Amino acid sequence: MNSPQSLAMLQNALTVGAILFSLGLVGILTRRNLIVMFLAAEMMLQGISVSLVAWSRHHGDWGGHVLVIFVLTVAACEAAVALVFVLQAFSRTGRLDAAAWQSLREATVGRTVDRGLPAADAAPPPFPTLTQAGVLPAPNEDEPLQREHV
Amino acid sequence: MTPALDPLLPGGILAGGVLAAAASLWLLLPNGPDRVGTRRLGMLLGLLALGAFIVTGRRLGGFGEEAVFLIVSLVAVVAAAATIVSRSPVYAAIWFALSLCGVAGVLLVLGAQFLGVATIIVYAGAILVMFLFVLMLAQPAGLAPYDRVSNEPFLSALAGAVLLGVLSLSIGRLSAAPSACCGLPSRAQATADAAAAAAPPVAAAVDPLAENHVARLGGELFGRHLVAVEAAGVLLLVALIGAIAVVARGEGAHASMGDDAGRAVR
Repeated sequence: MNSPQSLAMLQNALTVGAILFSLGLVGILTRRNLIVMFLAAEMMLQGISVSLVAWSRHHGDWGGHVLVIFVLTVAACEAAVALVFVLQAFSRTGRLDAAAWQSLREATVGRTVDRGLPAADAAPPPFPTLTQAGVLPAPNEDEPLQREHV
Repeated sequence: MTPALDPLLPGGILAGGVLAAAASLWLLLPNGPDRVGTRRLGMLLGLLALGAFIVTGRRLGGFGEEAVFLIVSLVAVVAAAATIVSRSPVYAAIWFALSLCGVAGVLLVLGAQFLGVATIIVYAGAILVMFLFVLMLAQPAGLAPYDRVSNEPFLSALAGAVLLGVLSLSIGRLSAAPSACCGLPSRAQATADAAAAAAPPVAAAVDPLAENHVARLGGELFGRHLVAVEAAGVLLLVALIGAIAVVARGEGAHASMGDDAGRAVR
C-alpha cells in the first residue's frame, strides 16, 4: 500500500491531525475555563487518532486502529475522573477558573491579574425571543437560580 | 505540485499559512471586550491560512475522494478553531461536537468504519454530554470574566505555530521510498508489492483493511491484544470507582470544613 496516492492521503490526514493537535495545544495553554481546557485536551487526542488511523491505512496494519480504541477508552476514563475534579474545584471556589488555583503556581511565576475588563460585554449576545402568549406565570422562589442566557 | 514551480514555493506558502493561522488565533482568542473589526480580521486571516493549507495539500487523484476529504477536514478544523475561540463554554462544547463529526468523517474516509462510528457514539454521545452536564451544573449566569480573557494569547499562538510548522515540515518530507531503517512496512509492503506486481496500479490503491473490516478488527483486538483489552476493562472500573470515591469523600470533607473554609479562595 505504498503507492503515491496512499502517501498523498497519509500526508493530508497527518496535516489534519497536526492542525487539530496544535489547536488543542493553543487552547489548553491559553484558555482559563477548566471545561474548555479539557475540550482542548480531547481535541489533541482527536488529532492523535487521525494520525494513527492514517498510518494504519498507509501500512495496511491494524495497530493504529487498536491503539485508537484504547485512546477512546482512556479518554472516557480521563473525562470521568477529570470532571469529578472540576466539580470539586467548582464547589470549593464557585468558579470554573484555572486562575482560582494560582496559589499552586511556581514561586517565580507572576500572579494572574485581570486588567481592563468591563463587568460585562457591552451588548448581550443576540438570542431569539418569542412574543408573549397567555398569562404571565407567577414568579417562584427558584427564579434567581435560573439564568437568562448561557 | 508541478516540477516547474520553484521548489521553495510550497514551503513558503505553508509557512505563510502557519503564520496567518497563528495571527488569526491571536486576534480571535477572547481578550477583553469583543470588537467586530478584530474578529473580522482574524476570520480573514484564518481563511487565508486554510487556503494555504488547501493549496499545499497533496492531490489524491479521485475527484470525489478529494472533495469529501476536503469537506470533512474543513469541518473538523474550522469547528476546532471555533471551539478554542468561543467565549461561551457551552458554544465551545457544541462546536467541539461539530468538530467530532468532522473527525469521524475523516476517519471514515481513511477507511476506519468502526472508529468513525465509535467516535460519534463515545465522544459526541457520552463524553460531550457529560461535559455539558457539568457546564449546566457549574456555569454562572452570563459570561464569566475568566471566559473573556486568555492567558498569554500571543505566546500560545506562537507556540502552536512553531509546533504546526515543525510538524508540517516533517510531514512534507515523507517520501514514498521504503524506509529501510525501521523495517515497519515489511509485511504490508510485501503483500502490496505482490499485489502491485500482479494487478494494475489502480488496484493497488484499494485499502487492504476494507474487506470484512469490523469482524477482522474485532479478531485482532480480541486475539493479539486480549490482555490489553482486559487491562482497559480494569482501567474503566478503577476510573468509575475512583470518580465515585472522590465525589463521596470530597463532599464529606467539604461539609466538615464548613462553608467559610471551603469558599476562602473566592
